[in-house]
Amino acid sequence: MDRVVILLSVLCLGVSSQPITDSQYLFSIAVSRVQNLHLLAQRLFSNFESTLQTDDQHQLNKIFLQDFCNSDYIISPIDKHETQRSSVLKLLSISYRLVESWEFSSRSLTGGSALRNQISPRLSELKTGIQMLITANQDGAEMFPDSTALQLAPYGNFYQSLGDDELLRRNYELLACFKKDMHKVETYLTVAKCRFSPEMNCTL
Amino acid sequence: MKEVMEEAVLLFLLLVIYTPDAQGTRYSPPGKPELTRCRSPEKETFTCWWKPGSDGGLPTTHALYYRKENSDTIYECSDYHTAGENSCFFNKNDTSIWVNYNITVVASNALGSTFSDPVDIDVVYIVKPNPPEKVTVTVMELKEWPFLRVSWEPPHKADTRSGWITLIYELRVKLEGDDEWEMHLAGQQKLFNIFSLRSGGTYHVQVRCKPDHGFWSEWSSTSHIEIPDYLHREKSMWILIAVFSAFIFLILTWSLHMSSHRSLKHCILPPVPGPKIKGFDKQLLKNGKSEDLLRVLVVSDFPPTTPSNYEDMLVEYLEVYVPQEQEVLLEESKDLHDSCLKFEGSTSDNDSGRVSCDSHTLLMDKCGEAKEEGRQTDQEDSTTEAEAQGQQKDWDQDTLMYANGDILSPEKSSGRVKTWPSVFSPLPQYTLSLPDQTSSLEMAKQHCYSDSLFCPGSTSSYLTHLGNNDNETLGPGSWEICLSNRQPYSHIPQMQTCQQVRSHSDVNISTIARKQEPAGLPLPFFRPTAYVEVQRFDEEDMVVLQSIVSDHGFHEGFPQMLQQEDYSKVKGVDSNNMLLLQTEAMKEDGDGTTPHKPTAHIHTVVSTQDEMAQPASGYVDTATIFTLPTY
Repeated sequence: MDRVVILLSVLCLGVSSQPITDSQYLFSIAVSRVQNLHLLAQRLFSNFESTLQTDDQHQLNKIFLQDFCNSDYIISPIDKHETQRSSVLKLLSISYRLVESWEFSSRSLTGGSALRNQISPRLSELKTGIQMLITANQDGAEMFPDSTALQLAPYGNFYQSLGDDELLRRNYELLACFKKDMHKVETYLTVAKCRFSPEMNCTL
Repeated sequence: MKEVMEEAVLLFLLLVIYTPDAQGTRYSPPGKPELTRCRSPEKETFTCWWKPGSDGGLPTTHALYYRKENSDTIYECSDYHTAGENSCFFNKNDTSIWVNYNITVVASNALGSTFSDPVDIDVVYIVKPNPPEKVTVTVMELKEWPFLRVSWEPPHKADTRSGWITLIYELRVKLEGDDEWEMHLAGQQKLFNIFSLRSGGTYHVQVRCKPDHGFWSEWSSTSHIEIPDYLHREKSMWILIAVFSAFIFLILTWSLHMSSHRSLKHCILPPVPGPKIKGFDKQLLKNGKSEDLLRVLVVSDFPPTTPSNYEDMLVEYLEVYVPQEQEVLLEESKDLHDSCLKFEGSTSDNDSGRVSCDSHTLLMDKCGEAKEEGRQTDQEDSTTEAEAQGQQKDWDQDTLMYANGDILSPEKSSGRVKTWPSVFSPLPQYTLSLPDQTSSLEMAKQHCYSDSLFCPGSTSSYLTHLGNNDNETLGPGSWEICLSNRQPYSHIPQMQTCQQVRSHSDVNISTIARKQEPAGLPLPFFRPTAYVEVQRFDEEDMVVLQSIVSDHGFHEGFPQMLQQEDYSKVKGVDSNNMLLLQTEAMKEDGDGTTPHKPTAHIHTVVSTQDEMAQPASGYVDTATIFTLPTY
């Protein structure tokens, strides 16, 4: 009888540990992918900035502050405290929404076509990965109601009635916002990964 | 009046006093300050530093104002002291990540204020961590080869544990006194090993870190470490010297050895042996005339189509050897076995063109093949001669017979044995023929391989004919069939082995190709005096011999050959299996074998006529006919 109990417990442990291992693996993949995307965004932005004149650069900096990224509607923790206070699931969902918002908009980013063409599919893959993580972690926890409600196409009117200056500005904004959002997702996913499995020793 | 004058002076003085003041000091609003940098050590707080401009002579105060993106609220820096002079420290509450800050510094004094240029920052991109802490360097002993293990910890403020910030590390090492550092990138690990250390040296180690998107930190404080002496310098030097000297010693020994024996070239590239084919002329090969060469090698006309002159043929001879006093007994050579088919090149023929028929070639195959030889002689007597002659044609000029039995033609009747594999003549029978001519002894020579083999046309046993010279006192009528595997040119046929003619079936009557060699062949000795042709082989075991006119071939040197004598009668077979022949005209010699056939004789039929041997007379031979030594 004892043996049966032991055997069953071992089996249960094995079964239960399985998704954890999978999730760890998925987390690692997601983190590495988003890091890559962030690097791409940085490269795009720096390329764009290098093509600008100095005057434009100053101007755009000013202008940028006045505008805002379209992804600002997504409420996300903006400091460490908040981030650490958020649950893993919340972080994952926020990441998901961020990625989703850029999935189609990234096609309108200026820059080298080679770089640009890589971004959208990678975003899609990342989204899928985060989705898997969410389902793995859901376990009955409810999704945030906001996530489904908000289905904006914030950049829908993006190219409407834009003059040259505005176009330049818009491009600048887009690139800057994209870069920032990627960094956000990277941070969230990293924190979530470390929180998810403390034994993974995030500090290596 | 005086009162007015005093007031004017006072006023003047006042004016004078005050006026220079106004001209000497200029108060102005402060100069424009400048934000030099903003840094965040851990992505949770940050600090900005500025550089003030001129103060305009008046006490100036600076204030930093900032505005976050998407908001118009202007905030003032709340902490000017934590980070030192001209700095502003943003604490955790005031710091927001992924938010653009617009920061401005204002310098103000009594006369006015001056704004600096605004700076936009995002905290995420201004992270520069503190240097790593607790850098420890230890020497780890790995057998005899120690290595350095460097370990450190992230700066205490950086929260790497929760994943908020990810740091990568780099360290650098140098020997004390060196100028250049050796860099090592350690990634995210906090442990690093350094190998290949210099014994007894002192190393300096430093570490720094960087967030994944940010700036490198400053280098940590230097850690010093001393490597113990793990390799004795002296010992290593001695080892080196020993190895080096051993190496030199080996080289010297080897070179001495090489020089004493032979040159290195011989050692590495041994000389290629030249061809040792009888009849194969190297010069021809070098001349490149393939035709000539092939002619030498190939039997050009086989089967014989044209009758050729008798004299030109290579004829097999039965060399008959007439002992001087007594009958010559045919002796059996002891080492016939050895020499049977041993035509090897113990005698290396320096002159490849010459045949060494004398030596091995004429050996009879003791192996028993010869036994069958004589079988059908009587049957084919009639044909023998024709065959012989026909086959003599084979030996036409420059035909070289290979030792491969090919030339042993199919003409041979079935019963015939081929005596030797090869070269031995196609003559199935052994005709004791006295060729008048020797066709070309030279040719025969050519046909004979020095090493191998066989003199074409010569059968193993032969009757060695001891030539009769003038001076010979050989007893007439006795013949000795000898096999000689003598070396071709030796003056003394040392190895002449005489095969006994066996009684019945073994009559090895070997026809030996024999030629008179005109000039050029310093063949010794033998002057056959008569050439005899075997007519038939009697049932009674008698060999009937017939002499052949053999005048032509005889060299001048042998004017007195016993040409007229007719040794055609076999006296009998000796107990020693020697075929005794006698001339008709001659009486039989006495009984018994000539005493001078002791064992010594067996081997050699020493030609007594050596001195008299005319160099021109050349019998090629193998079978040579030697004159018996006169005892």
